[in-house]
Amino acid sequence: MKAAPFSYVRPTRLDDVVAELERAESTGGGKVIAGGQSLLPVLAMRLGRPKTLVDITRVRELAELQDDVGTVRIGAAVRQRRVERELARRVPLVGRALPWVGHREIRSRGTVCGSLAHADPSAELPAVALCLDATLTVVGPEGRRRVPAAEFFTGAMSTVLAPAELVTSVTVPTPRAGEGFGFEELARRHGDFALAGAAARVRRDGDAVTEAALVGFGVADRAQHRDLTVPMAQAVSQHGADEKALTTTLAEAVDQIAAEVVTASDAHASQQYRRRLMRVLGTRALVRAWTDSRRRTHA
Amino acid sequence: MSPTAAPLNALKSRLSSWRQDPGAAEDRQQVLRVEAEETLRVSFTVNGRPAEVDVAPRVTLSDALRDHLGLTGTHIGCEHGVCGMCTVIVDGDAARACLLLACQLEGAEIMTVEGLGKPDDLHPLQESFSRHHALQCGFCTPGMLMSAYDLLDHEPGVAQDELPEKMSGVLCRCTGYRHIMDAVSDVAQQNPEGVPAPRNCGTGQLLPRSSTGGPGSSAEDELQSRGPAEITLPSSQPTVTVSVEEHVQATPEEIWEVLQDTDRVARCLPGAELVEDFGNDRYLGRIRVALGPVKLSFVGDIHVTERDEQNRSIRAVAQAEDAAGGSVQAGVALAAKPHEGGSLLSADAELFMVGKIAQMGRSLAGDVSADMFAQFTQALDATARGEEPTQAQAPSAVAMFTRLMSQRAQSLVDRLRRR
Repeated sequence: MKAAPFSYVRPTRLDDVVAELERAESTGGGKVIAGGQSLLPVLAMRLGRPKTLVDITRVRELAELQDDVGTVRIGAAVRQRRVERELARRVPLVGRALPWVGHREIRSRGTVCGSLAHADPSAELPAVALCLDATLTVVGPEGRRRVPAAEFFTGAMSTVLAPAELVTSVTVPTPRAGEGFGFEELARRHGDFALAGAAARVRRDGDAVTEAALVGFGVADRAQHRDLTVPMAQAVSQHGADEKALTTTLAEAVDQIAAEVVTASDAHASQQYRRRLMRVLGTRALVRAWTDSRRRTHA
Repeated sequence: MSPTAAPLNALKSRLSSWRQDPGAAEDRQQVLRVEAEETLRVSFTVNGRPAEVDVAPRVTLSDALRDHLGLTGTHIGCEHGVCGMCTVIVDGDAARACLLLACQLEGAEIMTVEGLGKPDDLHPLQESFSRHHALQCGFCTPGMLMSAYDLLDHEPGVAQDELPEKMSGVLCRCTGYRHIMDAVSDVAQQNPEGVPAPRNCGTGQLLPRSSTGGPGSSAEDELQSRGPAEITLPSSQPTVTVSVEEHVQATPEEIWEVLQDTDRVARCLPGAELVEDFGNDRYLGRIRVALGPVKLSFVGDIHVTERDEQNRSIRAVAQAEDAAGGSVQAGVALAAKPHEGGSLLSADAELFMVGKIAQMGRSLAGDVSADMFAQFTQALDATARGEEPTQAQAPSAVAMFTRLMSQRAQSLVDRLRRR
């Protein structure tokens, strides 16, 4: 289907973007467009009819990709395929998740920040941002604010962004000493939305676990973040390098989380199957993260 | 057509759409503005040749290529980025032409299947497709060729067993994947250094321009007032089933009290309101769902079919439509059982969805429904305990409420009479 008519505005300065969003808000509603890979399907199916699209891709400062000490900053107009090519090693969890985001043909235009702002519950990048404690920079009429990923997502396709606000960049921490990552997903066809997926981060100090976080996505109205430091530390002190025993013990802990999550049955998967996926994929991601952490004894 | 022969109105709209920033005098920045009914002149390169199109903001690259430039080699399938038929190369990377707005592509370099080869000078990929009989109906062929070109361009020597995953961005509904993978694999093996250059790019002539594909018109949807409709749920498998069970503080008696008042029940559901009370426990309701850019407004009938005071449970069926999104039918059972001083509140729903909401669906429809039911049980608990639910305020509940009060007495009498 064709999108319903809308006006198109293309500023070249961030101030103008905010001013245009405010103006659009007072004249029937506006929406930021960068790569448009999530927005255009919504427009084409006429599930949304914003009156104005504000194109941010010609704002120079939003196209920046900065590799700093301890963090990388990805601007709002930076495309996923560029991050995949240039930064996959610097932020390994992002690098591992990106190939799962749509197909190459989508990632060549879609942006990292766009995926965060769209906040699809089965999208990979919001889960990764939560798992890594990434910080989003948000700019609006009231100025600039920094929002931790844990506070950004409020529900399915819903975030704390006010109508005239936009995400200008996301700051992602690079791995610290002893940190390891795991990413698992199951979809009907590679590149499709996940039936369920999991991102995990584990930090070790010698043979002990000091931090463990698990994020499940595709199972509820937003990605589910859980601190698993205690059960993970116990499981590791009990079983050490015995991966099979570790898997069995962790599966029980992950299963408890899976049982709490409000999820639904549909044509693709029943509620029980989704919970089972969460347990299997979540456990697998944690074990991978633990194994991975061995390779990074120094940051 | 020469560039100077452009329609006057397009030129005018372009001039009027440039606005000078009132701020900083030296650093004058421009904001390009194109109204929905105006067109914008966009210049880019297609297959190495300069091209210009006059397009309304909503025109996609796929439509610009086909309708404005007559390049119909790029096929359109789903038009929302799932099937990959319209895959073209934009600035060196494959992209879905149906997911790109032409107005965003000023200065871009685009390559379509027409640029890949000529009938008497086929590209090696095209020859290989022919040799392997890598097509039946041929509809996906342009997309497959362009995706394969992109793959071999960026990952020369890609392993054969990786091809199904790497080529998964384009669907073939004849399911002739095996021959397609063989054809791509052949070219990959014969050209380990990289994909051979396209055979039909850059002969330096301006592409033709046509003026089809206008800005279009928008239609507003309206709600007609009408009587109650009969609701029959389909016998097929539901699209989504939701089962929420929650331990709440309110007692079953308190919850039952709220369940007796459909208007209060409606107000526990985020975005819902009662529009009309037809009597006999039949209602007209509306629920607004806003998820980021997605804004739906479902209007439809609700019929409470069973009220069981002994078990503190009610059953209802509903059907509702959104002008764009499609329709939903639902069977819902709510029950409150005594549990540890409070109640165990259960909500079971079977939802049957038709139209775009179901397509858009995958787990999203389920996730949203499950979350709404969870919010609903919490709000119901709060209402039963005498607190007003804060989140679940219906858009115009106050206005509806006064009107409904007079009708409520009548429907209560009806209800009692039926027992």
